[in-house]
Amino acid sequence: MAGMEIDTVENLQRKQSTYQSLDETFVIQNETYRGQQYSQIYFARLHMMRTLLYSLVTHWKPHVPVCTVLGLEEGKECIIVGTLYKHMKLKPCILDEYSKERSAVPLVKHHNFMHPDDHLVLEDESGRVKLGGTVLSPSVYVTGVVVALHGKETGAGDFMVLDVLEAGLAPQIEPQLKSREDKYVVFISGVSAGSSLSNPLQFQLLVDHITGHLGDEKEQGIAAEIVHVVIAGNSVEIPLGLLNGQNLASKDQSRLSEPVQELDILLTQIAAGVPVDIMPGSNDPANFSLPQQPLNRWLFPGSRAYNTFRSCTNPHCFELDGVRILGTSGQNIDDLKKYSEGRDGLEFMERTLKWRHLAPTTPNTLGCYPFTDRDPFLIESCPHVYFVGNQDKYGTRILKGSEGQLVRLISIPKFCNTGMVVVLNLRNLECHALSFETQFSS
Amino acid sequence: MATTPSNMKGFYKLKKNKSGITKPTSSKKSSLHLVPSLGSDITQLTALISHGSPDLKDYHDNHEELMRQFDINMAYGPCLGMSRLARWERAQRLGLNPPIGFEGLLKAEKVRSECWWDGRI
Repeated sequence: MAGMEIDTVENLQRKQSTYQSLDETFVIQNETYRGQQYSQIYFARLHMMRTLLYSLVTHWKPHVPVCTVLGLEEGKECIIVGTLYKHMKLKPCILDEYSKERSAVPLVKHHNFMHPDDHLVLEDESGRVKLGGTVLSPSVYVTGVVVALHGKETGAGDFMVLDVLEAGLAPQIEPQLKSREDKYVVFISGVSAGSSLSNPLQFQLLVDHITGHLGDEKEQGIAAEIVHVVIAGNSVEIPLGLLNGQNLASKDQSRLSEPVQELDILLTQIAAGVPVDIMPGSNDPANFSLPQQPLNRWLFPGSRAYNTFRSCTNPHCFELDGVRILGTSGQNIDDLKKYSEGRDGLEFMERTLKWRHLAPTTPNTLGCYPFTDRDPFLIESCPHVYFVGNQDKYGTRILKGSEGQLVRLISIPKFCNTGMVVVLNLRNLECHALSFETQFSS
Repeated sequence: MATTPSNMKGFYKLKKNKSGITKPTSSKKSSLHLVPSLGSDITQLTALISHGSPDLKDYHDNHEELMRQFDINMAYGPCLGMSRLARWERAQRLGLNPPIGFEGLLKAEKVRSECWWDGRI
């Protein structure tokens, strides 16, 4: 029909980036459970870290002898390497249930189990020794961190710490191809589809923005620069009240699957336009202990049709255009917050990088699989971007290492509470937050 | 708990310089580069026979004794919950240089595939 004018619109092409998944170490495929206990993973962790620390100690204090815990001699200065154990008075213990003096046990605070009487102990295969002195602050450290300590044994049998050496940031590989154009990665977490807190319109707004259905050409141009989307955990909230051991009525059965169906509808829209990685979180239908295995693809019958849809492990590690990105859905940092003290989430993240271990409190207070041959949470290569999901607020900063490493730390807030997502520019690792609001001021 | 059966001397033949849990002398076993293990003394012997049912076949096998030394050796980490071969491979991978001969013994199934305490603890 003649006469209809159509604006000549250039077809906007979304930018592309090369993706490489580095999740093999987090996938549980060849492991078989043969009744092993956690001593195996602690041994693997201690051995790997000790080999590393021994090489660092020769540069740190070359003239001080290194010995094992059993080889300590009173008054003799030496260096010992081992795993820290923090004895915490308020840490919930299963034995308290059998204690006869119930009233003496203080009420457990959920948010933090610290107490001024907490003390640290260093342990290796030969033995353990209580740590004294003021250099090592029990409020900073947690059980499971491997460090080198310089000090000497006192008459009381304690080890007086004079100095401490942490592994520090791992070596970092420079991305070979420095991208010259702006390419953005969007990080979301805590969507909580199906919960009373989540607003479906907010998430729909986000999806529309990413897929370019929002705004004019300029805004669509910005959206076309988004090359990847990462969903960092807690994407659904299953109504747990239904799971009380009773048989489910048929109408309740559909209520149980509604949140996942709702999520799938929105994920399909995203996957149709841009590569998306979805990680499991503490509330998602995945296994409980770390590393969480990828969400079953059959939960997402719509999205799984697209090869841009990837179900990933938690923790998740991948490379985009050579930029190494590593992150979790938050359980590792949340556990550190319960057992140690820090300014903010970013400070805990910095500590895990310096300790070279994503989740040092596993398996002590954070569930993890009893690996025998390795500890998959050891950070062997320093990432360029390190993110943690499901945090209370947005935060970001650059961390500089002693050998020129640069890491962008990102604390992703819960989307259902804040309506905020984080956008990262792969070119210069700059970060900003993007907020979606659906309140209309009258 | 150490219940010493009356025929202790019978089922555990104490051979000079070759009994199950003693520090291996370098002259006899240098070819296999054995490492003296922590705490290898008479207390280990008591733990071994406390389970009650004697495993006569194993004691007379030199190879099994060598493997038991490998099990106890702390340098290779805990032995429970892992097959001996898996533990040997882990030691190899971590650069601990476990004796090469053991891999051959385990793969040829000349010794038990599990550590001495497997199923007894």
